[in-house]
Amino acid sequence: MIDETTRGNALSMQATSAEPLARDTEHRSRADARHDFIFRILLRTCALLVLAALLGAALSTLWGGRDVLFKDGFKFLFSADWNPVEDQYGALAPIAGTLVTSLIALVLAVPVSFGVALFLTEIAPNWMRGPVATAIELLAGIPSIIYGMWGLFVFVPFMAGIEPWLNDTLGNIPVIGALFHGPPLGLGLLTAGIVLAVMILPFISSVMREVFQTVPARLKESSYALGSTTWEVVWDIVLPYTRSAVIGGIFLGLGRALGETMAVTFVLGNSYNITSSLLMPGTSISSSIANEFNEAVGLHRSALIALGFLLFVVTFIVLLIARLMLRQLARKEGR
Amino acid sequence: MSAVYARRRITNIVALVLSGCATLLGLIFLVWILWITLENGISAITPTLFTKITAYADQGGLSNAIVGSLIMDLMALMICAPIGVLAGTYLAEYASSTRLGASIRFLNDILLSAPSIVLGLFVYVIVVLPMSNLTNGAISFSGFAGSVALALIGLPVIVRTTDEMLQLVPGTLREAALSLGIPQWKLTMQVLMRAAFSGILTGVLLALARLAGETAPLLFTAFGNNFMTAHPLDKMASMPVTIYQYTNDPNPALHAIAWAGALLITLFVLALSLLTRIMFSRKKVSYE
Amino acid sequence: MNDLAAAAAAPLTGAATPAKIKVRDVHFYYHGYHALKGINMDIPEKQVTAIIGPSGCGKSTLLRIFNRIYAIYPKLEAKGSIELDGENILDPSYSMNRLRTKVGMVFQKPVPFPMTIFENVAYGIRHHERLSRADMEIRVEQALRSAALWDEVKDKLKQSALGLSGGQQQRLCIARGIALRPEVLLLDEPTSALDPIATGRIEQLVEELKHEYTIVIVTHNMQQAARCSDRTAFMYLGELIEFDNTEKIFTKPGKKQTEDYITGRFG
Repeated sequence: MIDETTRGNALSMQATSAEPLARDTEHRSRADARHDFIFRILLRTCALLVLAALLGAALSTLWGGRDVLFKDGFKFLFSADWNPVEDQYGALAPIAGTLVTSLIALVLAVPVSFGVALFLTEIAPNWMRGPVATAIELLAGIPSIIYGMWGLFVFVPFMAGIEPWLNDTLGNIPVIGALFHGPPLGLGLLTAGIVLAVMILPFISSVMREVFQTVPARLKESSYALGSTTWEVVWDIVLPYTRSAVIGGIFLGLGRALGETMAVTFVLGNSYNITSSLLMPGTSISSSIANEFNEAVGLHRSALIALGFLLFVVTFIVLLIARLMLRQLARKEGR
Repeated sequence: MSAVYARRRITNIVALVLSGCATLLGLIFLVWILWITLENGISAITPTLFTKITAYADQGGLSNAIVGSLIMDLMALMICAPIGVLAGTYLAEYASSTRLGASIRFLNDILLSAPSIVLGLFVYVIVVLPMSNLTNGAISFSGFAGSVALALIGLPVIVRTTDEMLQLVPGTLREAALSLGIPQWKLTMQVLMRAAFSGILTGVLLALARLAGETAPLLFTAFGNNFMTAHPLDKMASMPVTIYQYTNDPNPALHAIAWAGALLITLFVLALSLLTRIMFSRKKVSYE
Repeated sequence: MNDLAAAAAAPLTGAATPAKIKVRDVHFYYHGYHALKGINMDIPEKQVTAIIGPSGCGKSTLLRIFNRIYAIYPKLEAKGSIELDGENILDPSYSMNRLRTKVGMVFQKPVPFPMTIFENVAYGIRHHERLSRADMEIRVEQALRSAALWDEVKDKLKQSALGLSGGQQQRLCIARGIALRPEVLLLDEPTSALDPIATGRIEQLVEELKHEYTIVIVTHNMQQAARCSDRTAFMYLGELIEFDNTEKIFTKPGKKQTEDYITGRFG
């Protein structure tokens, strides 16, 4: 950019008259402006790639699944008949499996996460908080395939051991009893739900912990000053103050659970039967895709990609809600 | 009066004890999973693991999977680190208060928790299928496609950390450089990036920790390969996919190898995330 | 009111020294808030001009217009004209590079770049000029000497600038600014983050630098203005109340508000 005359000018700067120097700076200003413009465009392009990735994931799976979606339309969603031999594809079983396992995971993980967050923000002595929080968050760092292996080799036998007991106790309760009838396979929706619960626990608890810490100390102190117990402060002050963000954290966990593949694939049992019992094998959207995709051709493959599209749309909506809820607290804080 | 007081106190104690139990439960699961991995993994770690390829099955090792994983992880970083850092820089330096910036930041957070298996399908449709069509099936699944899928996992992590780290750099540093006539791009690349370097590096390592453990996006992009290859357009083996296949196999000898691989990958990922934590806590005090 | 009318009509100036910067009817808007209301002043060449006033009076704002650094933020707007050697720097056609090489700035908090001490000084030069290694070393040494820092850092030029003390960092920032050989040096409360000893050294440095540079210093410290400036401007609520010889401002100020401020009755 800078030619030899510039170098000469620079060396004999004092001696040269102001005229060429001024021209140089004009020249450089224009070059700088041009470079800044190119730089800005480059950066913006990279940022837009993030949008392109999301949009591309949605559109490409929609495109890949067009065959089955055109052929079956809404029947694809509501038919429970998944039969590759007859080229019939109804997605009800995987959809139901995904929803049921995620729901079990939430029911179990939310109270436990709340307990962890409560313990780490209000109860634990200071020296304990950092290490324990780090340990809980390490759970989130364990690759999901490890959860899957542990689930299959260790947790499934463990569940097979306690399922007869579940049959005898929870199974006798009217209404919900039916959920706990079945052979003690160890595999099944309940097992998958529990493994998912362990996986999403660190996500929910770390969001809760973070938002609990944002509650202004004066709010809590004024309640303590009135004689409230720790529990009352958390239940009456902290939770209402952080409600939207807590719900956001729960939805974030739900988003994770819906989309998780490896942790559930081994322990679900891969069965397309829809049963009333949580102890029976089932399937989920992600595990159907993982198990069948590489052997699938034609309409079968299209159906699996369409399942992927469905999963993407549902998790997108759930995560959208999560982020919107989380943002409300940030707004409240004026961030 | 005292009955009310006693009930409140008991409620409180019960709640506090339960919350302690919840924490304990979380820790029990952590220790349980880590212990099982360690116990099964250590006994299966042998020199053959690192010298033989998976083609020998239960007589073999994981060397091609280890090499494949290293290649794909690094290629993925080479794709997502520059894009992610530049995108994060855009958010922090050019779009911190614009509508476009806010939407990209928001959608990036969604991409952060998007289901990885769908990202795998996405890459299957946009990379694997077109390549297969163009070459009449000569090239289909490839290490390159796997890397693209992994890059999509790492990208949002890097975007987010870069954005956050650059926002921590004091504004006066920008003013100081601009008042010397330094243009924005030089200021950004040479001053701000240097000031936020350790933070941005933390983001890249975090991304590596996340993508290194991913299985689902590789299943239908890199596929797998029983032989050693370093060619990015070949089908490529990887640790997570090999572990997945071996776990699905009825042969217990393969399970042992899978556990050894699981241990290696867990140690790698956990060491990385601990390292980034240490770097991050140091980062907070280094530029004040 | 009469005073204000007079101020608007004729620029307040010091004495016979030629004006380096002529400020004419400058208004400044900050997100719609009217922060400067018609400033007129002539800043004399190669002298130290201090701007004092209670916080929020607009003194830093005025200083930040002199090199248009305010323009990096959205929704800030300056009107009027500021002539540097007869050319209006607020004119968009006045090139930013030219302005910033002519007008250097030092900020409240020392902000060294995350580089070595040598690179901190050389970095700005390198963008504007191509110098040989030897010439660059001479330039850096000159700048560090002028900033009275050379003796303290000559043995550790390759070390990070972040390891210097606050006072040293601030002198490094001054060296960085004068390395570009500007004509005007703007100092925005340069000692507010420093201890008394470091402050003394900076004030001494300002005294030495005024032989070569036109210096404008914003300070909240009246003693500092009295100690090291030739001219003092007093600003209040976005207006320039009085601008005169420093001695006169501090001994027999012409305006009631100035007197109230320097005797500590408000602010």
